[in-house]
Order: sequence, then structure tokens, then C-alpha cells
Amino acid sequence: MTRPFEQRRECTIVAPMLTAREGELSAEEVSLLDQHLQGCNECRAISLALAETDGLVGEALLAEAARRDFAPFVDEVMARVGAGPQEKASLWARALAWARAHRAAALMGTLAPTLAGLALIVYFSDSETPPPPLAGEVEVVAEGRAPMVLQTSEGPVVLLGGTDGT
Amino acid sequence: MVDATFGRRAVLAALAALAFTLGAPPASAASGIPVRVRVIKGSRQGPPAVDPSLSDLQGQLSRLAYQRWEQAAEQRAEAEMNKPLRVAIPGGESLELTLVDARKETVTFQIRVGARAHSKLTISKDQRIVHQVTDEKDGAAYFATVRPWP
Repeated sequence: MTRPFEQRRECTIVAPMLTAREGELSAEEVSLLDQHLQGCNECRAISLALAETDGLVGEALLAEAARRDFAPFVDEVMARVGAGPQEKASLWARALAWARAHRAAALMGTLAPTLAGLALIVYFSDSETPPPPLAGEVEVVAEGRAPMVLQTSEGPVVLLGGTDGT
Repeated sequence: MVDATFGRRAVLAALAALAFTLGAPPASAASGIPVRVRVIKGSRQGPPAVDPSLSDLQGQLSRLAYQRWEQAAEQRAEAEMNKPLRVAIPGGESLELTLVDARKETVTFQIRVGARAHSKLTISKDQRIVHQVTDEKDGAAYFATVRPWP
């Protein structure tokens, strides 16, 4: 029952064609494959076996996917990262947890508004405060008189002046 | 434990800083400064003479036309910011001395003499004020001298 050498050689040639998908073979190759299968029982048997198993794996995967329920998938992932809807911690507790995990950022976040407020206070207080008085500044108001100020190195001397303007 | 109290500490520190900022008194709001106020009388008549207790005022008094100087009253007190200090003047009048500004090197006083006059003078810490407080009568007038940190 051994096949002649020429037929075995042809089997070797058409063997890759058995697993080719539709459209992959040229018309000449299709013709050659058909002629060979008509005359070679072994290759025909192999071809039939391949045709039967073709698509079985894909169909099995689809069936398995359809069987599974993916609805709780998102909840399970969120629970794993610790932000699930079932977490009932208060906002304050979560803020503290975040502050513990990000100390530098929390410190800066707390101090930044304070420093900004301080800067505003300093800015506005400076802008509203007149410049500091200097030694020697004198302001004398004497109605109906001609006041006079003598400046000495030991301090000012203020004379009210006479009522007649002297 | 440190982790548990970290957030609370940060908040408390921020509140303390804010309270300190808002509650800090300005530099000029000193609680008060000691002052020495003297009322002195200057006369044009009589032989020239200066009360020995007024020797520290010689440089200022010598600029005036009065040749006799004597001390009439003295008062030492703590001048508090914006709180008038009343000093009696012979003749029934009085003057009001008010500390209106105090800084590291200077102080500013306001002197009010009845309704006649009011002055605002800024001096350095080592200076003093000589201020006429009465009109001249019979060749004599009263002055007040103010010396901070005597």
C-alpha cells in the first residue's frame, strides 16, 4: 500500500495547501490541489479531518465567554484599588489618610492659603500705613498766632507767637 | 501615632500662624514709654540765671530771649499710646501730652494747650521738646519740656 514516489512528492507539495484559507491559493494551486485530492486517499482524509475541526476552537471560546457574567467585573476592580462604593469612610478620614500619604503636599496645601493671607495682610497694611515719621518733623497749629519752631540738635523749641502775629 | 496626628497638627499649626498674624500688634503700638515732663518759667527781667536742675536744657533755652529760667513743676509718668496725659500749668491751665507714635528710634507726641494750639512733634530717643504753653505776660511765659526715657 505504499504510494508511488511521484504521488508522495505531490503530497509534499500540496500538504501546505491543505491548511490554506479561502482566497490564499491561486487558481492554478486550487486546481492542482483538487486533482491531487481526487487521486490521493491519505491527503483527502487529512483534508476532511481539518475541515471538521476548523472553527471548533473559536466557537468554544465564544461559548465560554457568553457563559461568564462580567457584570461584577468593574466592582471587583474598584474594590481591589480601595475606592469601591462600599467604602463608607468619612470625607475627613479620607482627607487625613491622603495627608498621611502625601505629607509634603498636605503641608504645602495647608500653609499656602495661610501664607497667601499673610501676604495680603502685609500688602494692604503697608499700603494703608503712612510712612513712619522722621525725627524733626513738627506740625504746629496755633489759631491767630504765628508759631515758630527752632530746631536744635537737642530737640525742637516751639514758640506760640503773640496774638498780634509777632 | 505620629501619622495619626499629622493632619491635626498641620491644621493647628496653620491656625496658630493665622492667629499670630492677625493678632500681632503693629510696631508702633508699644504699651507705653516713661516720660519726664517739666514746667519751667522763662523771664526777661532780673539778673540772668538758670535753675541748676535745667542745665540739661541749656542748649535749647539759650536760643530764647528769656534770661532767667526756673522750674515750676515736674511730673514723671508712663505715656501710653493715644492716652492723653494731663499736666497742670500755674495759672489754672493744663496741657495734654499724648504719645501718638513710638518706634525703635523715634517717638511722636501731640501737645495740646487748651484751645490755643496743638502740635505734633517727632523726636529721636535722645532729644527733648521745649514747648511754650502760655502767652507771655509781664515779660514771662511758661514752657513745658518733654523728655522720653529720662
